[in-house]
Amino acid sequence: MNAPRRSWIVEALFSLGLLAYPRAFRRRFGDEMRDDFRRIPLVPLGTPGAVRTLRTLFLNGIAERWVAVVRWSFFPNFTPHLYEPAGRHFMFWDTLRADIRHTLRLAIKTPVFTGLTVTALALGIGATSAIFAVVNGVLFRPLPYSDAQRLVNVWSNNTLERHPRNPISPANFLDYQQMNTTLDALEPYYTFVTPQQYRTDAGSELTYSVMVGNNLFNMLGRSAALGRALNANDAPGVLVLSDGYWRRRFGADPSIIGRTLDLSQFTAQVVGVMPPDFVFPYGNMFGPSGFTRVTSVDMWLPLAYSGPQAAAHRMLTSAGQVTRSIHWFGSIGRLKSGVTAATAEADLKTVAAQLEHTYPATNKGWSATVVPTIDQTVGSVRSALLLLLGGIAAVLLMAAVNVANLMLARSVAREKELATRAALGAGRGRLIQQCLTESLMFAFAGGGAGLIVMQLGIQGLLAMAPADLPRIDEVTVDLRVLSVTLVTAIVTGIVVGLLPAFSSATIDPRATLQDHSRGAAGGTNRRRARGILVVAEVALAVALTTGAGLLIRSFVSVMNVDPGFKPEHLLTWQMNIPTRLTSPDDRRAFYRDFFARMQALPGVEKVGGTTRLPLGSTSVSTVIEVDGRPTSDAAQSEVEFRRAMHDYFDAMGIPVLRGRGFTSDDGPMAPGVAIINQAMAKRFWPNADPLNQHIRMGATQPWLTVVGIIGDVRHTALEEVPRPELYVNYLQNPPVGPFIVIRTAGDPGALAETVRSEARALDKELPLYDIRTMQALRSETVAQRRFVMILVGVFGALALGLAAIGVYGVMTVIVGERTREVGVRLALGAEPKALLLMIVGQAAKLAALGVLIGVAVVIPAASLLSSQLYGVDALDPSTFVAVIAVLMATAGLAALMPACRAMRVDPVTALRYE
Amino acid sequence: MDKFRPDTFLPLTPVAFEILIALADGERHGYSILQEVESRSGGTIALHAGTLYRALARLLESDLIGELNESPDPSSADERRRYYRLTTRGIAVARAEATRLEGQVAAARARRLLKVARA
Repeated sequence: MNAPRRSWIVEALFSLGLLAYPRAFRRRFGDEMRDDFRRIPLVPLGTPGAVRTLRTLFLNGIAERWVAVVRWSFFPNFTPHLYEPAGRHFMFWDTLRADIRHTLRLAIKTPVFTGLTVTALALGIGATSAIFAVVNGVLFRPLPYSDAQRLVNVWSNNTLERHPRNPISPANFLDYQQMNTTLDALEPYYTFVTPQQYRTDAGSELTYSVMVGNNLFNMLGRSAALGRALNANDAPGVLVLSDGYWRRRFGADPSIIGRTLDLSQFTAQVVGVMPPDFVFPYGNMFGPSGFTRVTSVDMWLPLAYSGPQAAAHRMLTSAGQVTRSIHWFGSIGRLKSGVTAATAEADLKTVAAQLEHTYPATNKGWSATVVPTIDQTVGSVRSALLLLLGGIAAVLLMAAVNVANLMLARSVAREKELATRAALGAGRGRLIQQCLTESLMFAFAGGGAGLIVMQLGIQGLLAMAPADLPRIDEVTVDLRVLSVTLVTAIVTGIVVGLLPAFSSATIDPRATLQDHSRGAAGGTNRRRARGILVVAEVALAVALTTGAGLLIRSFVSVMNVDPGFKPEHLLTWQMNIPTRLTSPDDRRAFYRDFFARMQALPGVEKVGGTTRLPLGSTSVSTVIEVDGRPTSDAAQSEVEFRRAMHDYFDAMGIPVLRGRGFTSDDGPMAPGVAIINQAMAKRFWPNADPLNQHIRMGATQPWLTVVGIIGDVRHTALEEVPRPELYVNYLQNPPVGPFIVIRTAGDPGALAETVRSEARALDKELPLYDIRTMQALRSETVAQRRFVMILVGVFGALALGLAAIGVYGVMTVIVGERTREVGVRLALGAEPKALLLMIVGQAAKLAALGVLIGVAVVIPAASLLSSQLYGVDALDPSTFVAVIAVLMATAGLAALMPACRAMRVDPVTALRYE
Repeated sequence: MDKFRPDTFLPLTPVAFEILIALADGERHGYSILQEVESRSGGTIALHAGTLYRALARLLESDLIGELNESPDPSSADERRRYYRLTTRGIAVARAEATRLEGQVAAARARRLLKVARA
């Protein structure tokens, strides 16, 4: 009576332990040991007892091996009788060893086959792993905060304007913090980076800071690498440096702690340096308002609700209270344990409703939104990245199918060998095992070489990836990536080996060994197997090329979007005017001089500026009131707010459709004027003439007269529908950190140095930053789209190529098998053209079936793609028609080559096989 | 081959001696040896499969034990079981080891390291 088997994992562990023993010992005692092992009382896996048993097993094996080595070294002729091989003790590992040796021998004998197979698998597995590494680093790895899955971002939900993730006003934030019942902590931060001028003896340089709540670092569970992070007692006047800035600017000097930095408007003492992996906030945690596109942070400063900093930041109303009507806070909180984001959202919605009731003037229509921080950070790229992962997996599958096809073709050539094995008593299981061993070995070799491909792939992806792809700096190869590579290799090996394995397992040895012609026995089986491969490949190719086609069409439509201005020949930058210019008159004088000098530069056609640059900055909005309309809450509407400087509209090429642009007469003493865009005109005066209407930005502000209407401009992205925009003239309140645009006659990039030196000549405390051409900005806004499009395009091209190779390979074999038939038909007077059609027709039939299946699969999957599409429907018929046509043509062409070769067959030669 | 001298094998390892003792009252298969050793020692000696079979291998190589090709009890025939028995050489070596140990035990007793066993 045999003892019952243990669970497979226990059996596998035991088998591994047995591997420690010399082969002869294993053969002689292995079965007995296994049997005894199954009889001893079961010890639960993972207990010390089980560990001890396995360890003893293993150590005894090593000891026995050592005995064998000693014996072999000193008594080479001594062979104890028990070490003589005995057939019936042939074990799994010995079979495996034999199979591996056999495969290696064959692999060396057929270097071209081996090389092609391993290369194809290495490319497939390596590319898949590289994409997975990116997906893993961006999407799957936890954020660098402790217990990061409990972190959520809390936003105000502006229900009237449908901005669910609107920043919060400071007073509302304080109430959220106090009144919620579902969060352990909630901490604020400014939703933008604030440029600071760090003044040194050598001159001033620009740094980027973010104001955060004192307790933020604590709440995130991160402490400083050097010194300390901010704590509850800190007031303005201290700062924490980022690791990057500390290394870049201070050469990683540890004595930085305690040093006081002169940030021109105030001084602050360095209390700590954060570790290198600490990032806060991620780009996507910033809100829609902001002064600069820069999202890298050099230092963190504590924010204050009172005192001079609060006043300077418009934190306080004229009555001295924390403001409730200006929204610029972001907030991040930690869920109480066991609380979900949805529960927290319900809780904060209740709080928001109470606030709405208490403060209707400011809070009407404002609710709350809670977003898990990981979604806030990478949610926007999740579908794109998963799409890429799916795409590369499909490419890998196609490569595997091609390799399976190669193996299948080879198993035809090895039919005799396999039949002989079967005749000598090898069972089906044994033949399948051998085939799978072979394909797994190829897959492992491919996986090993794939690691190199992966490294190169990751480097390529990082170089190519858009800079604003969140967490792209955190992509590394970790254990999870390596395990996925291993699993991918194993799965690929099995996929590759399965079909040849089963087709060779059905070999009838008698028929094969008797029949001297090729492919008579088992041929139908194999032909069917090959048919399946072609169909599968074409189906996958349909999916990939459709995706690629749709993405390329989307990209073209995005690039064809008229941004509302002329992006050619524009150079832009941002600057902070010297802080000594505190009065509006000083600033006006400065700008007059500045614009005059810029205008005078050779090659400069027009100069202008604004507070918010399209495609180049975030946005800011204001609430307006129309004269003669009741100021009910619903009518109080938000519009985007910018100041236009000097010749802004002309310089940008934004057309003034009606009325006039700003002139230098619209000065501080002149009546207030405003210019609006078409979207605003349509929204507020759908049936009236907006010109000469009066509006104001709040009850305490002066009335402005609408004097002109300009064209709509795409501000945040090319795909975005233009929002209502309101412009006022800068002379009526000159800004301190504007964007400047100049229209040039020639290449705008060439002017960058001239502009910089002119600015330095004007004032040595005038740093220009973010100098870029508008074309570069436009290209950056579509960088993510371009990244996905290029990758999926490459996948699509690879898929087409792989499908072509697959069809070609299969048709070559099929035609080869039918050479005799073709010869007979030709000898009997068949038209070569008809034969050609017959062969190509066969390929076309398979391809058509593949196309049908592919389309049937793609149509329900297309909705996954729609988030990536613009200006083209996911089921766009012309793309589908084009893809089908291209694939059918590819299949036909791939079949044509072997078919033509068959036509040149000499009937006599073909018939001689008889 | 020279005349067989049991004392060249002494001292035996404890495991080897245990196996010889277990086989003294008849043929046994591996698992049965394990059980016997464990029950006789009251569980104080727990043989692991690896330890047992390595010892068996050494004993087989030195012809102290032999292997039966068929089961002594046909009713419980288990194709995979192999039964081991003592050879005459094995008996001689076991006896020599027992004598050796007895001498040691007697000496220990004479020096009052061990109480006098009751008959």
